[in-house]
Amino acid sequence: MGLEQYKGDMEMCCRCSACKFIPMQKVKGHQYAYVCPSISRYNFHAYSAGGRLNIGAAMLKDGMKYTDKLLDIVYNCQLCGACGVSCNYAMDMEVLEPINEFRIKCVEDKKTHPALDKIIANLKKQGSMIPGAKGKRGAWAAGLKIKDATKEKVDVLYHVGCLTSYDKNLQKLAKATAKILQKAGVNFGIAGDAEMCCGGRAYQMGYPKEFLNQAKKNMAMIKKAGVKTVVTSCADGYQAFKVLYDRFDLKGELKVLHISEYIDKLIRDGKLKPRRKVEMAATYHDPCRLGRLGEPWVHWEGKKIPGDRFVFDPPKPYRRGANGVYEPPRDVLKAIPGLKFTEMTRIKEYSWCCGAGGGVIESNPEFAKWTARERIEEAVSTGAEALVTACPWCEKIFNEAIKESGSSLKVYDIVELVEKAI
Amino acid sequence: MIAKEKLVKIVGAANVSDKPAALDEYSSDISFVNPVRPTWVVKPKNTDAVQKLIKLANKTQTPLVPVSSGPPHFRGDTVPGIGGAVIVDLSGMKKIIFVDRARRVAMIEPGVTYGELIPAAAKEGIRINMPLLPRKTKTVVGSMLEREPVTMPKYQWDISDPLACIEVIFGNGNEFRTGQAAGPGTVKEQWAVGGIQKAPYGPGIASWHRLIQGSQGTMGIVTWASMRCELLPSLEEPFVVSSSDLDTLLDMTSWLIRLRMVNECFILNGTNMAAIFAKKWPKDYQAIKDTLPAWTLFYNLAGYEYYPEERISSYITDISQITRRLGVESVKSVGGVSANEILKAVQQPSPEPYWKLRYKGACEDVYLLTIHDKLESLIGEMNDLADKAGYPASDMGIYIQPIVQGTGYHCEFNLFYDPANSSESNRVKELSAAAVKGLMAKGAFFSRPYGENAGMILNRDAATIGVLNKLKGLFDPNNVMNPGKICF
Amino acid sequence: MALKKDVYKEFESVVGEENICDDPAIMPAYYSNKFAAVILPGNTAEVQAVVKLCNKHKLVFRPICTGWSGMFPPDIILMDLRRMNHIIEINEKNMYAVVEPYVISSQLQAELFKRGLNFCIKGAGTNCTAMLRGHGHMDQTTSGDDRNHLAIEWVTPEGDIVRSGALGSSDEWFCGDGPGPSIRSILTSAVPPGVTPGVFTKAAVKLYHWPGPSEFPIAGHSPKYVLSEIPANMMARYYSFPSVEKMWQAEIGLGEAEVCYELMGFNAAMVAANITTCNEEDEAMFNRLNKEVQGPGFFVIIAGNSPADFAYKKKVLEKIVEEAGGKSLKTLEDPELEGIIMCQCIRISASIRETFRPGGAFNSIPIMGQRDLTIKWAIGAGEAKKPLIEKGLIVDDGGAFFGWGVEQGHLGKTEIFCKYSPSNPTAKAAVETWQREQNRRAFEERYFASTMGPQDEIGPALCNYSQWWSKVVKALDPNGVSPEGGSLV
Ligand SMILES: Cc1cc2nc3c(=O)[nH]c(=O)nc-3n(C[C@H](O)[C@H](O)[C@H](O)COP(=O)(O)OP(=O)(O)OC[C@H]3O[C@@H](n4cnc5c(N)ncnc54)[C@H](O)[C@@H]3O)c2cc1C
Ligand code: SF4
Ligand code: SF4
Repeated sequence: MGLEQYKGDMEMCCRCSACKFIPMQKVKGHQYAYVCPSISRYNFHAYSAGGRLNIGAAMLKDGMKYTDKLLDIVYNCQLCGACGVSCNYAMDMEVLEPINEFRIKCVEDKKTHPALDKIIANLKKQGSMIPGAKGKRGAWAAGLKIKDATKEKVDVLYHVGCLTSYDKNLQKLAKATAKILQKAGVNFGIAGDAEMCCGGRAYQMGYPKEFLNQAKKNMAMIKKAGVKTVVTSCADGYQAFKVLYDRFDLKGELKVLHISEYIDKLIRDGKLKPRRKVEMAATYHDPCRLGRLGEPWVHWEGKKIPGDRFVFDPPKPYRRGANGVYEPPRDVLKAIPGLKFTEMTRIKEYSWCCGAGGGVIESNPEFAKWTARERIEEAVSTGAEALVTACPWCEKIFNEAIKESGSSLKVYDIVELVEKAI
Repeated sequence: MIAKEKLVKIVGAANVSDKPAALDEYSSDISFVNPVRPTWVVKPKNTDAVQKLIKLANKTQTPLVPVSSGPPHFRGDTVPGIGGAVIVDLSGMKKIIFVDRARRVAMIEPGVTYGELIPAAAKEGIRINMPLLPRKTKTVVGSMLEREPVTMPKYQWDISDPLACIEVIFGNGNEFRTGQAAGPGTVKEQWAVGGIQKAPYGPGIASWHRLIQGSQGTMGIVTWASMRCELLPSLEEPFVVSSSDLDTLLDMTSWLIRLRMVNECFILNGTNMAAIFAKKWPKDYQAIKDTLPAWTLFYNLAGYEYYPEERISSYITDISQITRRLGVESVKSVGGVSANEILKAVQQPSPEPYWKLRYKGACEDVYLLTIHDKLESLIGEMNDLADKAGYPASDMGIYIQPIVQGTGYHCEFNLFYDPANSSESNRVKELSAAAVKGLMAKGAFFSRPYGENAGMILNRDAATIGVLNKLKGLFDPNNVMNPGKICF
Repeated sequence: MALKKDVYKEFESVVGEENICDDPAIMPAYYSNKFAAVILPGNTAEVQAVVKLCNKHKLVFRPICTGWSGMFPPDIILMDLRRMNHIIEINEKNMYAVVEPYVISSQLQAELFKRGLNFCIKGAGTNCTAMLRGHGHMDQTTSGDDRNHLAIEWVTPEGDIVRSGALGSSDEWFCGDGPGPSIRSILTSAVPPGVTPGVFTKAAVKLYHWPGPSEFPIAGHSPKYVLSEIPANMMARYYSFPSVEKMWQAEIGLGEAEVCYELMGFNAAMVAANITTCNEEDEAMFNRLNKEVQGPGFFVIIAGNSPADFAYKKKVLEKIVEEAGGKSLKTLEDPELEGIIMCQCIRISASIRETFRPGGAFNSIPIMGQRDLTIKWAIGAGEAKKPLIEKGLIVDDGGAFFGWGVEQGHLGKTEIFCKYSPSNPTAKAAVETWQREQNRRAFEERYFASTMGPQDEIGPALCNYSQWWSKVVKALDPNGVSPEGGSLV
């Protein structure tokens, strides 16, 4: 069905520009009102969701008219989904899906981005998102006495994710996670070298086949290991397992939790007690794929009811971002003694993207860093010394941007702070 | 020169005059503009005559100077700018066309004065937002077309208020009606279906009345105007607050207006309080001046149909918090002048003699628009300039009128002088010119440029002049309408 | 028609490579038209330079702010002003704000709330520019249309910079008129639509006191944001009346009593749209409200400056409504819904949910001016909808119209539309006939004339205003490069 299935949605676009901003009643002033990195950076309407949908509708009708500019538009989008939330405050229509489909269409037509091609080629070869990654995937766990879930029976499989596994600067997150789980006495394991990329980022990049390939492999491994619960510490992984696998009917009964949700539960169950003071003023960045795009998939099939309204039988449920994972990471941070928690303007379902999504960190690192800088500025404006996130991709791009801009803001993953507190 | 019979044919013999006395009456005024004698004075009685006069003027290249108010004139705008002019005196067009309570609107001809309109409107339960104590002969239309400030800033949403619609004969002889009055159909046809002429904007993208306002008769002649009216209150409770600190009073004023609690609201200095409210002249004048603090804020609370007492008492409670914060006190009288007496006075035109003339027989007004933060320094500058010119600053009346719901202030300096004393009048003339120059340099805005100073004022804004000249060229291509005024 | 390479280069040298584009791929994003180029100037000087180049090369241009409602000829230079997005000044003492074209109303309003101020939000929504004129929910208190403009910085069609009023003479924004006749006369007015040629690059808008909170206490997630509490001294209600006459009696009474912060003559369908989060809910809610109302009605927000002021306003409101036989809609007395619609009308300023969400088309007749007169006409226009409803050609809204008082009832707006399926040609034709006939009736019976209608007939009936306007435009735009802007309802 591809793009075609969203014809009606794309034609619904009324060009109101709501998708460029956070929801109107959440606008707190002149600053931090914008929500779409792409239009904010490139300014031509074509870079906004509304512009993308109108282009989609036109090209569906008149045929794809590829130009360099079109591809520039297509690949300079984080697929962050903020547009959809703002649009769906008032409109009943799909926004992010057709944008993603349009990219898929480009890839199908071989109008790919060389940087992304490289990533995908590597994915096919190595099963990871990190081309040129050296060493073994599970090497970080050496000496930590972590069970191998493919060999031993565990209650929880900790899916580490590509970036955390391979990036020397981020392996600390895996270690912290392991430490926390151990401290809470969780019977967990990792798949070690057998772990594979979740495929989620491939889907964002416009490569559904490659995504499905990964998804199937992962689910086969999980089935084989007899695991009932997966915990991820990467928001992309979370969204892949929880939402995308479900969407493509692969998830089955698997329970998927983000580490922040799991820690929150452990604290509430009294299994984890953050007692040590972590004195700092911190603010929290909602990763797109943990927040709004972490909202569960809702299976639906229906037909448009003929007539003047864009309504369906049975009624179409839209994922408008209300059911993402917002409170658990906040509750965890608030449970850390000494931590002074402040909120930014753009949070939860209308959070500003870190910049790394949609393959942008690979295809246009400058734009990714620009996006991150905007967020850093917002974090600093709250008076926070630290920006806490819950995804290694965010941490990576924030740190790169900070390095360039010389900001004194510190970036932490939520597990790093919990580790300090226990 | 236009032949008399042509004018007679249009307005009738009784309404054409070239008697020297009649011509003299229009050849100069209290302002310092150079006297220029018109050649005829005509008094049309209806739109048709006005239109014919303008057409005739176009044919004969004759300057027309429209005048609606009676003498004395103060601003030089009705004194011909060049020779050979015909005065079109509209003061005889005195019809009050309608007063409509339900829609809060009235329509009148240009000769109707405040003294005439006020009772007619009151009979229906409404009134007009009026300038401060206009002279007896001042017409309502004249005042509105001049964008004179009004005493109830709360009801002045737009600087063009209270003007609603006008009928105008443009300089090229075409008749036009602005806003809702434009059509469809004639005004009478509109009435028949329940339409009145109130909405000011349009037709189309323009708001044409704004082009006629402030034009000093240079674009065309207005033959009637409608205006928005306000309800007559059922209960009123006026107050005064005096202080030597203007900034405190300005602060208070801006809150009173911002919270829309007050109807009439303005500030006068001691000299103007005395000039206006002295009963026994000159004894009271000096006494009031001596006893009053430098500034007096006057405001009036009003209630209408529903629970007026409760409304006023809730305002009083809220205002008391403001006065407490500012350390001032709202009272019922100051220096022997009661708030009630002020209220009564400012809801009517000035009694005779006109308050501006009573003190010394003549008065030159220097008035400007500005913002809160600049007002005090402009007053300071004016005091310095007066000192320098040898005019006693203590003799200078000052009237501060918040305009357009508090977006700005009209500040008026009244320079009273004895016209028979040539050195005094020369001093005032020089001071007036120096004031415009000096105040402009300090950021004052002169939105209504009259007489001698107009050139100096307009020179600051060449881009606006460029556009105005283009417009003038369209509406009065032969420049017959009051040539020599503004930048035309 | 693409620009010649060297001409393109000239524009590019003004705005920089990043800010001009003529790639065909971006065109459908904007409108169904293809433009010669889209240019993103970053300041007034760049706008001026672009306009001068357009004159030099006889290229037609039009600016947009957010570009929601513009209508544009093909092949023009589209000047997208989104990079001009600064709030230049908020002057609290003199109650005005100066903004550039791409400050949206929501941004300015949020800044103003912090200072206890507000301004006229267009009924289109806070997603639109704060700079252009318009009218909307709070006109009762905040007036509407060009009456809210003070000084304007305007790049004329020939590329001169005109700064109206005090701005040109003394660099102050508080006054847009003078010296002498006001340039505001040609810088936009009210509905019916149209925008003066040239480009407004900054404008001062009037501000009004805001008695509400510095920020609404919003809880929940999109699309269901609720107020965690109704702010102090504020209340929202919907009242329905036994007849249009009774409704008008109450509406004008409330205007004259000066008690309403907002008075919006919504019908039940519009209330339903605004308080619901999807089409299905909307339909169910409409059916419910439709049963609950006794006739036409309006929605009211009162906001007191103090508890005493609030108590007074509430008492007067209730008295006037009672005298007119009004009945409060119980559903909306639920504090959750009360909060939703309060926020919806003040912060969002409605619109999208009630117009575009259903997904159909609507044809509308809007008119600003004398409210009692236009209501009188609208009753007839509503009656004329009924046969179409009976035939199932348009959405059943009971023949409703809507509108509101402006400046405490001194002026007003009335609008009536038919919602129908664009894919049903019979319905479309019937609605177009209805629209034509009702416009014609308004014209012939002398209620008003839609200046969107045929100019050869309407122009002469309105004192030949269109000829005058053409002359003005010709004088300002001798090269004919700046057609007046379309639709700014
Ligand atoms: C569903 C809907 C409901 C609406 N309801 C209302 C309503 O209740 N009240 C109301 O007032 N309006 C209403 N409108 C119209 C509304 O006023 C405009 O949509 C709004 O002001 C447009 O803002 P914008 O930023 O999108 O302007 P744009 O679409 O960018 O511009 C509108 C017009 O102004 C011109 N223009 C833009 N920028 C400039 C500039 N800088 N200088 C000169 N000309 C310029 C454009 O060329 C265009 O012709 C409605 C529109 C829609 C779509
Ligand atoms: S995508 Fe949605 S929010 Fe964006 S312009 Fe279109 S309708 Fe409006
Ligand atoms: S997905 Fe994100 S970057 Fe892409 S259009 Fe939507 S808001 Fe913009």
